[in-house]
Amino acid sequence: MSIDKELREELRHMADSMHCPPDLYGRVRRSYQHYVNEKRGRSPMKKRMLAGIVAAVILIPSAAFASPYLADAIFGSSAAIEQRGGTKEDYQVIEGMLQTAKGKLTEDEFKEYMKLTKQLMQLKLKITDQNGNKHMDKLTNEEQKQFEQLGSKLAPYFEKINGTAKP
Amino acid sequence: MNDKELLPWLEKATLGDESAFQLVYQATHQDVYRTVAFLVYNKQDIEDIVNEVYMRMWRSFHKYDPNRPFRFWLHGITIHLIQDWKRKAWRRIRLFERNRQMTCEQFDWTDRTVLQFEMQHELFRLIRQLSYKLRVVIILRYFHDYALEEIADMLQIPVGTVKSRHHLALKELRKRFEIKGGDEYVY
Repeated sequence: MSIDKELREELRHMADSMHCPPDLYGRVRRSYQHYVNEKRGRSPMKKRMLAGIVAAVILIPSAAFASPYLADAIFGSSAAIEQRGGTKEDYQVIEGMLQTAKGKLTEDEFKEYMKLTKQLMQLKLKITDQNGNKHMDKLTNEEQKQFEQLGSKLAPYFEKINGTAKP
Repeated sequence: MNDKELLPWLEKATLGDESAFQLVYQATHQDVYRTVAFLVYNKQDIEDIVNEVYMRMWRSFHKYDPNRPFRFWLHGITIHLIQDWKRKAWRRIRLFERNRQMTCEQFDWTDRTVLQFEMQHELFRLIRQLSYKLRVVIILRYFHDYALEEIADMLQIPVGTVKSRHHLALKELRKRFEIKGGDEYVY
């Protein structure tokens, strides 16, 4: 008898003597029922999950584009300039400028630009009264110096923003 | 019941029809159990794996390609879960306990009749002594009658590897069989 045939016969013979224990049926059945319950329970859950994902997909981009109002990073909110004679429209103009800057500058440049602009705007807010009039004398000598420095530091950025804006 | 007849029932079972589940279980459980029991020796582990096979059967039915034989898919799941289990067992920290278990495992895994058979059936005892990698090829080839290419597909290893394992397994069996039971063995 060839070994192939012998192996086949032997395994068949052995298999016939191996019986799945009957109590295993109960266990597999319980698992099955668990699966069925899970499946039934899952379908409304699935819908909710889907709705959640859809909502997140819609919200995330709008949050990414709308929420970090660039001007908010500098002023906190439009209230800061409205107290000093500015309007919501002015705020939008500033926002527009910042958005342009963001588009024209590299990421690192823009970071630096925002930092400097923020400092400059803080000083400007300080010298501007409720009617929008400027009083340089409100600043200390040191602050006046800083004000000028900021102006010159920002100049190359402005050139870059405006230069490429008008090719 | 052949594959084609079983499929609609299997589909019903995955949708929650309990009588369909019973039918599918009746039609497949001996085959699944025996396949696992040929490859894993601990009784508790065998039952765990069989249970897992059925869970996987319901959950993955949507991935089953009806153009391929159902048994091939079923054996694929079974082998996959056994190997999964082996990997986990390997990592288990209960190594010490396992070593202790292994010494009595030989007598523990199934009932007395098997032990008796084992004594009467030298060849079977030798198959059980093969390493898992060789044994799985022997079981799939001679118990389930798969071609070497199909075995390669199922084990996700190259055909060449299957061939060499098959060859090695036969060589080992012949060698030991000749030494121990040479009289009755005619090659």
